[in-house]
Amino acid sequence: MITIALAGNPNTGKTSLFNRLTGSYEYVGNWTGVTVEKKVGVLKKHGGQLVDLPGVYSLNPLSKDEGVATYSLLHDQFSAILNIVDASQLERNLYLTLQLLEYGKPLVIGLNMIDVAKARGIRIDAELLSKRLGCPVIPIVARSGAGCDDLTRKLAATVDEQNPFVIDYGQTLEEAICQFASMVPENQGLPPSRWLAIQLLEGNGVVRDLLVKHIPVSALNEWMENTEKRVQEETDFKSIVHYIRIARGRCIQSLLASSVTNEGSHGTTLTDRIDQIVTNKFLGLPIFLLFTYLIFKLTFDWLGTPLSDGLDEFITGPLSDTLSSWLHAAGATEFIEALILQGIVAGVGGVIVFVPQIFILFFLISFIEDSGYMARVAMVMDKIMESIGLNGKAFIPMIIGFGCNVPGIMAARTIEQPKERLLTIILTPLMSCSARLTVYSLFVGAFFKQNQALIVLSLYLMGIILALTLAKLFSSTILKQESSFFVIELPPYRIPQLRILLQSTWEKGKGFIRKAGTFIFGGSVVIWLLSYAGPGGMDVPMDESFLALIGGSIAPILAPIGFGNWQAGAALLTGFLAKEVVVSTMNIIYVAPDLPTLQGVMADFFTPLSAYSFLAFILLYVPCLATVAAIKKETGSVKWTWFSVVYALLIAYIISIVIYQGGLLLGFH
Amino acid sequence: MFLADRRAGEKVRIADTSRMNELVKRRLLDFGIMEGSAIEVKRILPLGGPIAIEAGGQLIGIRRSDAKLMMVEVV
Repeated sequence: MITIALAGNPNTGKTSLFNRLTGSYEYVGNWTGVTVEKKVGVLKKHGGQLVDLPGVYSLNPLSKDEGVATYSLLHDQFSAILNIVDASQLERNLYLTLQLLEYGKPLVIGLNMIDVAKARGIRIDAELLSKRLGCPVIPIVARSGAGCDDLTRKLAATVDEQNPFVIDYGQTLEEAICQFASMVPENQGLPPSRWLAIQLLEGNGVVRDLLVKHIPVSALNEWMENTEKRVQEETDFKSIVHYIRIARGRCIQSLLASSVTNEGSHGTTLTDRIDQIVTNKFLGLPIFLLFTYLIFKLTFDWLGTPLSDGLDEFITGPLSDTLSSWLHAAGATEFIEALILQGIVAGVGGVIVFVPQIFILFFLISFIEDSGYMARVAMVMDKIMESIGLNGKAFIPMIIGFGCNVPGIMAARTIEQPKERLLTIILTPLMSCSARLTVYSLFVGAFFKQNQALIVLSLYLMGIILALTLAKLFSSTILKQESSFFVIELPPYRIPQLRILLQSTWEKGKGFIRKAGTFIFGGSVVIWLLSYAGPGGMDVPMDESFLALIGGSIAPILAPIGFGNWQAGAALLTGFLAKEVVVSTMNIIYVAPDLPTLQGVMADFFTPLSAYSFLAFILLYVPCLATVAAIKKETGSVKWTWFSVVYALLIAYIISIVIYQGGLLLGFH
Repeated sequence: MFLADRRAGEKVRIADTSRMNELVKRRLLDFGIMEGSAIEVKRILPLGGPIAIEAGGQLIGIRRSDAKLMMVEVV
């Protein structure tokens, strides 16, 4: 079977094209670093495999996601490379193309965003470009699908060998390349020696790691030093990296001169005008906060809550009644009926009612991601982030973490500095994810009817402020580092397409629904059984059940923070599985047929103050199971995984005790 | 003179980057921005925040502290 690698600069639409060609759906956004892992899909038309690699500017990696791409090109078996090129940024994109062509694998170029280029007055003669590069060049628009069929046909036809593209690097370097070729062992399946030589000279660590397995380090170093010295002596360049860059640049200029005409007028573009407002001196930060506030208003007050209420009425009303009458008709035992209605419907249904709110939140996050605003937020936030030992890019994982912490933690890969990355991974779980939202919704509906959005916003802000404070603390103690750096590309704004937004929303939200069908379903059954059975047998009063016993064992610890009852203890323990399970557990424990009743019953166990303390505890106490697994995977360290669990518990307890005891002192209750 | 001294809307050419952080230089090189490149200062964020520069149709944000180390000349 043929395998094709999809490579290109960040934010050129690789993932959009991947989705077009494979018919699958991957995460699409308008910011650098959307794809941080390689993904494999099956090509629609001819059944080959397509591997979506993270975007890279060159084959010489600087951050972890870039390393994935270069490593994969070197070590995985590809029959061809599909290079996606942003037609409106041809000069920069061709830099990678040249390196790929030098590599010598059959290559097809997808000239993407040809519509954007045209709108800017850039005209590209694809045929001429194809002739000069010696590979097919197909103009496409990945977002709409134009030209993609043509591209698929070309891909199917290009599986034979291709001669590497040769750039003249000048006599000095050419001699060194020849000399290098004699050092490289033959028949080891290595890439062309010419390509290896140039990449090595550019300081490519992945290539170096590969070469030291075949060539003695001393020989490599000697050759490199000699070459560097000769370049410095015989040319007027200070470094060989610069020299190679200029040689490639010259080649690109000559390609552009022959096949591209630019009749664009450089007036103020839409992007300029939007940037003038959103990155404005005075307005930048307030606008960001306003956006955040609007998102909350939409999710809770204006749109989400009415929809959730409607769904709740349906589940507790018609759905429960129908199920109940069916069960009667089928002659189900009382045990089965109780298990289904009080266990499963209460547990799963209690979480499902929040689906509208969660999908609205995901939709709005997708909108921000796809519009190009994300990179601006990173820039506006950089100064603040720098002062606490992070950089603006760390803000992106945190925003994504509002949806779900797991992809947030993955997104931290685009951060180049290892310590900043680790810090971001550890702190992202403090971002209040959508699963925690279900618990907030339940409680604010019961205790803070007048100020729902405000209370929830305060919890989100609490997470952010704590994350920033702890970042400062950790970066100046256990995670000290010498230099931090920040360079970010600000992509042009684009109007998000409804189709892509809906896809993205579904992609993010379907995990939530899947969890409801698995984790929460299973959890509900187990929790209900634990509440049904006790040391005294089956169908015991809830207070004498196993669940009461287990929850009661940690209740004394929870008393100082305001909720020393077994119900809260049991809910918190089960919440480690997934934070929504807290809601399921409460639905089962308080045997409430619907949301209003549940909220009424809760008033017997919580006061507004202890409810707020509970919410803060839920926000902070431990990352859920899936997040802990992601932290383990991304840090590769058991120590840091434990650290992130333990510090969260400590912080949660401290904050809750401050809220509760402080609140009591101030006369709240 | 340094990039950080220029005002928004000014066009300059990069003269010397030898004082700059290696990683920043590498990343800028990825964007094709190096000694000799023509750039335009697009936006300067407040309170010592980053500077947005345009080069070859791309918009890039860099830190003010790095801009203070980038020598430029007026074109």
